Amino acid sequence: MTPTAPEGGAETAGLICAACDRPLVVGRVRASYLGQSFPVDLPRCPGCGFVYVSEDLAGGKMLAVEQALEDK
Amino acid sequence: MTLIDFPAPPASADALAPSATESVCPVCLATVPAERCVEGDAIVLVKTCPDHGSFSAPVWRGLASHRAWSAASVAAARPRAVATPVERGCPHDCGLCADHRQQSCCVLLEVTSRCDLACPVCYAAVGQGGRDLSLAEIDARLDTLVAAGGQVHVQLSGGEPTIRDDLPEIVRRIRARGFDFVQINSNGVRLACDPDYLRDLVAAGLDCVFLQFDGVDDGVHRALRGARLMRLKARAIAACGEAGVGVVLVPTVVPGVNDGQIGAIVDFAIAHMPTVRAVHFQPVAHFGRCRGEPATAARITLPEIVEALVAHAGGALRFEDFRAGSAENPFCSFSGRFRVDDAGRLAPRPGMRAACCGTPAPAVTTSCCGGAADDGSVRASPDVARARRAVAGQWTLPPAAAEGPRDGFDAVLVDRARTLGLSGMAFQDAWTLDLERLRSCHVHVVADGGRLIPFCAYNLTATDGRSLYRSPAEAGA
Repeated sequence: MTPTAPEGGAETAGLICAACDRPLVVGRVRASYLGQSFPVDLPRCPGCGFVYVSEDLAGGKMLAVEQALEDK
Repeated sequence: MTLIDFPAPPASADALAPSATESVCPVCLATVPAERCVEGDAIVLVKTCPDHGSFSAPVWRGLASHRAWSAASVAAARPRAVATPVERGCPHDCGLCADHRQQSCCVLLEVTSRCDLACPVCYAAVGQGGRDLSLAEIDARLDTLVAAGGQVHVQLSGGEPTIRDDLPEIVRRIRARGFDFVQINSNGVRLACDPDYLRDLVAAGLDCVFLQFDGVDDGVHRALRGARLMRLKARAIAACGEAGVGVVLVPTVVPGVNDGQIGAIVDFAIAHMPTVRAVHFQPVAHFGRCRGEPATAARITLPEIVEALVAHAGGALRFEDFRAGSAENPFCSFSGRFRVDDAGRLAPRPGMRAACCGTPAPAVTTSCCGGAADDGSVRASPDVARARRAVAGQWTLPPAAAEGPRDGFDAVLVDRARTLGLSGMAFQDAWTLDLERLRSCHVHVVADGGRLIPFCAYNLTATDGRSLYRSPAEAGA
């Protein structure tokens, strides 16, 4: 799953972009997988656009979405 | 994802020339050479035993779809653990042996050979006699799976597994070993009548009920299962919905008995979504109690079931919306996942239909071998891993629509409630067994002695009832 094109956003607490040393802000991101894309709000760096995906999200809801879209 | 648009079959093509494989003699189960031949619009497996004569059986009716399925990739991987030496050759060395070409995806654990029905069609030939495996024996078989390495789906089977009061404990033991998907293969009798037991199973970690479901009226159930079961099936599904576990309807399709109800079964499934997650059709195979040489008309093949599904959908679905198995041999299965609208109509999921005019679809990535990891062990097959994920994604009950704000991920997950799986798997009996297909099998039975045996080899039954692997003690009295 690939998150891209962040936009807008409110500040997150405690998450700093290691490359830019700027606090991440929650913004609209389009995640895409197998040709489909979905808008989700995730922390991202307002400078370089880095998007933070927590381990819980990657192994939880995001994995479930991938399973829902995959074919056998 | 691969979607295949196929043109009319060629008048002549090499693909339709006889091709060589191996099979067994249905009388003595000796390995014999075999050929796949064209007869009219069908592929027929033909073989001759020097002692018992010639045999032929249709294995695929529909040359156009056979050509398309032939174009599908055949996934292959080395078994992650080899338990038996190659001595007599396939299918006599199963364990798995080094000549097997696929890893385990779904593994059946037969926890009992007792059953509360006495079905005229029963691959295990069980009844009210028989015995339960002890918990120590079950632990040993689960340890076999752990030692074989890798994640597999575990299907508890039998006999009727719910005849055991300690089935929730067995589910817990499977989960405690780290296996992440557990299903039971059940006739639904106890599930319909004992909600506390069902709740215990779900609390223990049960993910899915593979529900024997042959038709939508009692005539079919009486013919195949010897009892009027229709109301009971509906109660079992309702109970599963209340307990929060998904149901897959599993019809055994027998020509002249229930092949006329394929569409009605789909309608029933749609009416019972989201609890019913899928229908998994299984053309009747001649194993166990269902033995003796069947007439050609007593066979139904996978493409005939797909054709019935397409016809029932009234133009909403096309044959090419279904695809060949991508982790097992392509000719062993078909599958498709479809969206159901508010009116109960099926449609391909958005973005999943191939364009017209035969636009090539993305190829399925397949591994040529298991490959070795850094520590020298065999790597897990990515094809099998993908198949497991797809099955788990479809067959588990989706979460109820969450209260409050939802993001794009939530929308996809909630939309799973509107997705129905339609699939089929063709088991091979002593007449139809193609050893090339058997070597690619990824549905295995965990047996005693640390062995994993491909499902069709485990159930293979000669004309006199003799089995290669299922011991008489494990069959019911």
